[in-house]
Amino acid sequence: MPGSPSASVADPSPAGGERARLDGRLVGIGVSGGVLSGLLGVGGGVVMVPLLVLWAGYKQRSAHALSLGAIIPISLASVVIYGAAGKVRIGDAVALALGAVIGARIGATLLARLEERPLKLVFGLFLGAVSILMLVHG
Amino acid sequence: MSGALLIVALAAFGLVTGAAAGLLGVGGGIMMVPFLTLVAGLSQHAAEATSLLVVLPTAVVASVVLHRRGVGDLPLALRFGALGAVGGVLGALLALALPAHVLRILFAVFLGLVAIRLIRDALTAA
Repeated sequence: MPGSPSASVADPSPAGGERARLDGRLVGIGVSGGVLSGLLGVGGGVVMVPLLVLWAGYKQRSAHALSLGAIIPISLASVVIYGAAGKVRIGDAVALALGAVIGARIGATLLARLEERPLKLVFGLFLGAVSILMLVHG
Repeated sequence: MSGALLIVALAAFGLVTGAAAGLLGVGGGIMMVPFLTLVAGLSQHAAEATSLLVVLPTAVVASVVLHRRGVGDLPLALRFGALGAVGGVLGALLALALPAHVLRILFAVFLGLVAIRLIRDALTAA
């Protein structure tokens, strides 16, 4: 973060060559995120963020914000399906959510401040850890 | 784990997960599902369902904060997310019908490769 400021700390202007309209790639990313979300019970961000950055060319920070927005309708649809199947444990969810909404404000505020490279590094390390854990637990 | 203690543990874990989710742009399910199965003792399906119900408010709160700060493009995100929701329904139906071991391993390998790429980019790119 304190590193070389020479690398033009471009702030995430939505105009900076990033897609501002719905196109084939965004649709593909949304659908693949959705399928994995429903299938594995995750929000889908863990697949949407990498695709938004490496395939659609978004900056790390914009990708994180877009992913969070896309997760709203995706998780809503998935939770309705699971809810209809009687799988949701409301009490546990409420307890978790009490902490999570406070944490989300903290995390999002931090996201708005962090620069591109540390953000990439943090996300990369996070994915690496997830990958190892998933392989270990199968 | 007993009732009251479990609630406190869940709220505390939710706080950490929510912060990580808001920063990393993910819902947090990837952290919550293992916690719910291993610590809270839920079945895999119950853990996934419960996690998704927490992911929803987490994403809403984080998105509102980011939208106010002008980060990202919330209307665009909601639009491609709505299409993703169709995929979410298919995925959830599929998950209820089959055990997803093979997919889980493929997915883990995919994440590992992406992780290597991002870390390399972060360390080398100028």
